[in-house]
Amino acid sequence: MKKILFTTLLMTSSVLAKESFLDSVQRMKWGDLDVVWVEDAKFPRFTASFYFQDGALADKFSGLSQSAFSQLASGTSKENQRDLSEFFDFYGANLKHSVTHEYSVYSVQALTRDISPVMTKVCEIFKDAQYPDKELKSYVSRSKSQLKNLVTSHAGLADRIFRQVSLNGTPYTTPVEGTLKSFDALTPEVLKERLGQFNKAKKVLYLSGPKDVKQLEEIITKNCPWSSETELKPLMLNRPASSSVIYLVPVPNANQAQIRIGRYLVSTEVPGKYDHFHFLAGFMGGGFTSKLVQELRVKRGLTYSAAAYVSLQRDYGRAGIITFSKNETTAETIGLIRDIFQDVAMGKIEEKEFLHQQGHQIGGFAFGFEETGAFLGQIMLYDHQRRNLEELLKFPETIKNLTIRELAQADFEIFPWEKMTIVVVGDKSLEKDLTKIRPVKILDYNDFL
Amino acid sequence: MKEDKRKTLAESIQLEVQELKLENGMTALIVPNPKLPIFSLYMFYKVGGKNEVPGITGASHFLEHMMFKGAHKYGKNTIDFIIEGSGGSTNAYTTNDQTVYYENLPSSQLEIILDIEADRMENLLLDPDDFSKERQVVLEERKMRYENSPRGQLYLELMQNLYEGTPYGRSVIGDIPDLKSVSREQIQSYFKSFYAPNNLSLVLVGDVDLKRAREIITQKFGPIVSSPAVDKSHNALVDDMFVPKLKTSKIIAKKGESPNPIFMMAYTSYKAGHPKGYALDVLSTIIGSGKSSALVNNYVLIDKPKATSMYAANQSLEKSGFFFVGGELVRGVKLGAFREELISDLKSYCQTEITDKNIQKVKNNYLIDLYAGLDTNAGLAQFLGERQLLYKDWRFYKEELTQYEKVTVKEVQASCLEIFSQPSVFVSVWNKHK
Repeated sequence: MKKILFTTLLMTSSVLAKESFLDSVQRMKWGDLDVVWVEDAKFPRFTASFYFQDGALADKFSGLSQSAFSQLASGTSKENQRDLSEFFDFYGANLKHSVTHEYSVYSVQALTRDISPVMTKVCEIFKDAQYPDKELKSYVSRSKSQLKNLVTSHAGLADRIFRQVSLNGTPYTTPVEGTLKSFDALTPEVLKERLGQFNKAKKVLYLSGPKDVKQLEEIITKNCPWSSETELKPLMLNRPASSSVIYLVPVPNANQAQIRIGRYLVSTEVPGKYDHFHFLAGFMGGGFTSKLVQELRVKRGLTYSAAAYVSLQRDYGRAGIITFSKNETTAETIGLIRDIFQDVAMGKIEEKEFLHQQGHQIGGFAFGFEETGAFLGQIMLYDHQRRNLEELLKFPETIKNLTIRELAQADFEIFPWEKMTIVVVGDKSLEKDLTKIRPVKILDYNDFL
Repeated sequence: MKEDKRKTLAESIQLEVQELKLENGMTALIVPNPKLPIFSLYMFYKVGGKNEVPGITGASHFLEHMMFKGAHKYGKNTIDFIIEGSGGSTNAYTTNDQTVYYENLPSSQLEIILDIEADRMENLLLDPDDFSKERQVVLEERKMRYENSPRGQLYLELMQNLYEGTPYGRSVIGDIPDLKSVSREQIQSYFKSFYAPNNLSLVLVGDVDLKRAREIITQKFGPIVSSPAVDKSHNALVDDMFVPKLKTSKIIAKKGESPNPIFMMAYTSYKAGHPKGYALDVLSTIIGSGKSSALVNNYVLIDKPKATSMYAANQSLEKSGFFFVGGELVRGVKLGAFREELISDLKSYCQTEITDKNIQKVKNNYLIDLYAGLDTNAGLAQFLGERQLLYKDWRFYKEELTQYEKVTVKEVQASCLEIFSQPSVFVSVWNKHK
């Protein structure tokens, strides 16, 4: 087995020697708009992802940015919601948005031959969205109803509560999606004001498609009401304090418990170690052969899945574990995760498993370039984090030079047990067992909706 | 709207696929793509929930888990390590009709992965200790997918009622008593019946040398003997066995942990490839896909919404099919009255919603979806494998696209009237149900 792993490392270290993908990245300036274009002529379609350096952190109340994008096509002064949805659906235009605390992305995908009508209309809605009262009330009613039903997804509920609890005391604690209370504060005026801020925010267009997509320059500069006047202001967070309890969130008739363990990271913890932390997340919970899956699922049958993540924006990040277990083994699972964190931090890492993870991450590097959209997504994140794109190509080399000691150090820094917030969504009866690990504090899920 | 000047759906893609047929009945499809030094391998076994019998429900899916536990040549629990250790990823899924294993790997790993696949097809270990641990994992997966998921409960209940008494009425993941009692020997016997080269379609897409790939496939899989049980088992499953026996409409109220009622309503439609299925696919997209669809406009995007989401789809299985509408209601909406209104509205859509413009809209959307689906090696491999398995010919996509291109307003209207005049199964899950 070891021989196979070594051979693999040697073979994959030059995985991208065939072609330098950075050569395919063209950076341009269209007026105020920075443009990053990767030519992709496989099919006659384009994807235009507009990055706005503005996100939920600037919201007056929870869910404002999300609603501003979500309701963008609910009506202009010339067309109603039905007209707009008929228009975009006819062309098969796929409109998507995502809002994070630090930035937001609005994406448009359609056939290249429809680029002019589709993108002109997109510019129109950014210029003239009215957020009509009738459509807004309907949206609020639906959103609140959906949120009240979140209890049907224990995993979704656990994610939402974990964010709020683990980031408590920071501006990042508010849910991007909105709350039952905040939906009631939405008005056409406040949404138009928020859209105006997005129109003025620094923007970058991440574009893929064949050469025809260059006609977008004229369409955007002529029709979109955009400038790039405002930028994200740096935000310094204090390091998280120790966490001394397990938060148990009872839900009715749960025969499994959702487990979330983790903490937030501050900007001073991250620079220079992005790739180390990426490696750590993969080592701990990045596949079937990761430490957690092997220990929890393969060796003990405690869960169906376990994953670890270290996700980083510019000024903060989050690191944690996502898993679940049956009621009887929930406490055992948490105890085991604690032991794994501590063992790895103490350097109890076998060379075989370390080399295996190196092979996994170096060999898998090329897959990040297969879909142009995913490649552009990587570039967008690097740009947001103010990282040099050259680092991306150096990733295999960085991982190859990593040592077991550095992995242990990364675990020690990222997953210190006393700073980890633990949230369990499950049956109330778990309280007794969980107390053996930490004191338990009961939370009502309704308080987090 | 602008006149549509683009190519027809059928002209939109031309796939160049190399086909290899081995003497033992195995089919391999190969599409070289040198863009990056990676490839995807998909193994389509024609075995799924429909091949099981009472007492061993879930056997296909349980076996899917055990296939990762090791085979003779490479030993226990090494498969994941070899694949992931080289930078690859792997997973599998089981449906009513098929079990599919897939790997995405660097080009250098072609020979070893084909060797692993051949090894586990022929010499699966089914280690007793692993079998016992994996049973617990499968039971947890079942809880996650059904018992703890109102949407999972809804789908399971729908299939059990619509296809009551037929092989499609059984749970793919398995009934709990069966999962607890099924023995290693029963799974071994099931494995021997269905894991054979004459029950496999292999699809390889990516940076591979065609000649070398053909050689390795022939060398690894050629010596494996075919199983006479395969044809016998498939021939025993005649289409009539899968016809839903629904004479009158059924209404099922299932208690579950959903504060808002969620529902699915299904009608019997046609098996995959049936000429009438295409019009129903188009119908489902017109009435239930996108913000401009009738269901979303009539129930969701209205002043006082009755539903937070609505959708429709036509599901084509190998032996049968069903057309369904579903959604989540807003709290306070009366379920009975909603159902009556929905049934009436669906019939009225046959007159109001089937227009040339809406049919063109569907075609535009299908083209976008088609491109998205074929964007990766894995996407193309899955696209080809599904057609090879269902129709015994990957080229069938041309027929599918031609049929969609030809669909007319009259055909969709006729299909609409036909489907909505049939008995239906209406299932809802709600915490207020008793």
